[in-house]
Amino acid sequence: MWVLLAVLGSSAAAPPEGRQADQASLARIARGDQLAFAELYDRHARLVFSLALRILQERADAEDIVQEVFAQVWSQAGRYDASRGAVAAWMLMLTRSRAIDRLRARRARPETASESNTAESVVDSAVRQDLELLSAEQVTRLQRALKELPDAQRTALELAYYEGLTHAEVAARLSEPLGTVKTRIRQAVIKLRESLGQM
Amino acid sequence: MDVIRDDDRPELEPPILQGLGQAVPQVDPPLALRARVLESIAGKPAARPAAARPAVWQLATAASLALAAGLGLYTSQLRGRIGVLEDELRDTRARANAADQRVADAQRTAAGAQSSLAVLTAPDVARIDLAGQPPVAPQASARAFWSRSRGMVFTASNLPPLPAGSVYQLWVVTKEPAPLSAGLLTPDAQGGVNETFSTPPDIPQPVALAVTIEPAGGSPSPRGEKYLIGTL
Repeated sequence: MWVLLAVLGSSAAAPPEGRQADQASLARIARGDQLAFAELYDRHARLVFSLALRILQERADAEDIVQEVFAQVWSQAGRYDASRGAVAAWMLMLTRSRAIDRLRARRARPETASESNTAESVVDSAVRQDLELLSAEQVTRLQRALKELPDAQRTALELAYYEGLTHAEVAARLSEPLGTVKTRIRQAVIKLRESLGQM
Repeated sequence: MDVIRDDDRPELEPPILQGLGQAVPQVDPPLALRARVLESIAGKPAARPAAARPAVWQLATAASLALAAGLGLYTSQLRGRIGVLEDELRDTRARANAADQRVADAQRTAAGAQSSLAVLTAPDVARIDLAGQPPVAPQASARAFWSRSRGMVFTASNLPPLPAGSVYQLWVVTKEPAPLSAGLLTPDAQGGVNETFSTPPDIPQPVALAVTIEPAGGSPSPRGEKYLIGTL
């Protein structure tokens, strides 16, 4: 059901004209245009809320994240570099980052110096440039590929992406050897990449 | 490229990263959240477009505006300053004029004193006491020091106030010819006089000094009533 929703949902993928509209909105927001801000909200609040909810699993927390992300958009619109990628992709990155921060805070996991080397998320160090949203068709293919992954691979990947865990943390969570977890994540990523037509 | 590197700091390429963000079940946020978000930014200052690098013309325009504003302010300050300076200049000029006046007065006084001293210390100085004449000036009195070479110092006191349109005139009375006018007296409020007169060195030997009241401007010869008389 949610696959269908994702396909039908206009905010799940931003068409090229949507991207231009986003950048135009952001330029107006940078001048303090609240109407443009409302338009951007209407286009992407669903995308932001859905990701925050998926990560945090609590509606109240997800709503807070939506509020934080849009407040950040409001305050940083003037500094946004359009050449870096799509506005919606930037907002998704902000959403994931803030939601995972909140998740970590909720767990109140003490950060120690010894952890700092390994605590880096599997995806935190991902290259943050040329951010682009996938097309609706690509998202559908990705969702299908995710669904077809063996449970063990999907679970490991989801822990890494949606909870921001390191390989070591995923391994600890699943009580599996680190090497096994690395292999599962790698295999999962290969299948997803293939689903997107990339080798 | 292997997505999981040996150093255990793997990366997910951007398409998968974005795709996983988009691939979640899509859920509509509550309607109330929209109002809350829009409200939350309404009171905050607008985003800062200036943080985006301004174009050269924007900088130039801003600089011109700043310069114009600065010049305007500067001009206004200058105008105010000039006004203050003009006031100061007027005040200074007035003070200078007053000072000049005092200097001139002082110089006149000094010159008068010097003249008086010269007369008083002249080897040929003679003293003449004058007495007030009843009934017009019974209280008045005067004294003169006369030197043929240096002139006359005349002091008087208690001269009665003059009727309008009249003056006191000092006469040097000689045997021949008619009395010679030494000059007009200008008494102060108390009827006092302290003046120096020059007299012709070739004046015939005086026999008396007299002060009469004459029409304004003085007379060529004494016609009015005598107020003071003194003989040598």
